[in-house]
Amino acid sequence: MAKELYYDDVAVGDEIPAYTSDPITRTHIVRYAGASGDFNPLHHDVTFVTMFGMERVISHGMLVMGITGRAITEYLPQKYLKKFQVRFSGMTEPADLNDMGNTAARSKLTVTGKAVKKYEEGGEKLVEYEVQTADQNGGVKITGTFIAALPSK
Amino acid sequence: MADKSKKGMEFPEFTFEIEKGKVAEFAMAISQKESRDQIDQIYVDEKAARDAGFEGITIPPTFQTCFALWSGGGLMPILQELGINLVRLLHGGEEYEYYVPIHVGDKITCRTKVADVYDKEKKDKPGKFMEFTVLETEMKNQKGELVIKSRSTLIER
Repeated sequence: MAKELYYDDVAVGDEIPAYTSDPITRTHIVRYAGASGDFNPLHHDVTFVTMFGMERVISHGMLVMGITGRAITEYLPQKYLKKFQVRFSGMTEPADLNDMGNTAARSKLTVTGKAVKKYEEGGEKLVEYEVQTADQNGGVKITGTFIAALPSK
Repeated sequence: MADKSKKGMEFPEFTFEIEKGKVAEFAMAISQKESRDQIDQIYVDEKAARDAGFEGITIPPTFQTCFALWSGGGLMPILQELGINLVRLLHGGEEYEYYVPIHVGDKITCRTKVADVYDKEKKDKPGKFMEFTVLETEMKNQKGELVIKSRSTLIER
């Protein structure tokens, strides 16, 4: 759970603590499919994806957004979150358990972000942040923003 | 080309009840954890959630993605209605505006409409277009309060 965060203590340019996921495995994907109800076979059935030339299943974009959300709620109390928006810019292939050495990097995601704007609107003190989620090879999966309404001291 | 006549189309309203077990299961999935003891307790424990300023156990910021998937009949009827081929579908983006916190036990009613339909020329293949469909959903709780507004961008490549 995130610690208290005050508007006064945030400066434009401040970075949020980086959050790094475990390498995403097919088991993580299956768990997310069950939890979310998204059973698009693209995410778990290799006999489906090979029909259109893909080598392996890919993660749900929404699992990657969920991981991005984890970074946000580790950084600030969730009750302050007002808006969260992402664009999906790359697919995430899971790690292969029989070749973790070569495949973990493509599925291990790091979320970074920074405050880009402080402003007051409708009686609220708001901070806008940019956020990015990328794998360990530099492959960007998500670019987005979130806005928090923070208390004053 | 995208079927622009779909703009403004509304889908049948449906209601989703926030169940404790489902919230914990979802939080475990996005936290990549095997047990509910290892995740943020605001998604599991009444007291922890109250201490964090909620009226009860709350939901992760992306949990509402499963409302339509679990009780709206899933993604397929929406895609069929819109004439989108699953094989060509990409999720382009997702946006949430949070108004009132959602808690376990809430009954959330969702209303989805097609907010926009447009084409964009492919950068690498001039003359070829990708079709964009933006779905907007308003979610209200059992008290009639607007809790979340969401926008999903679907791309048919």
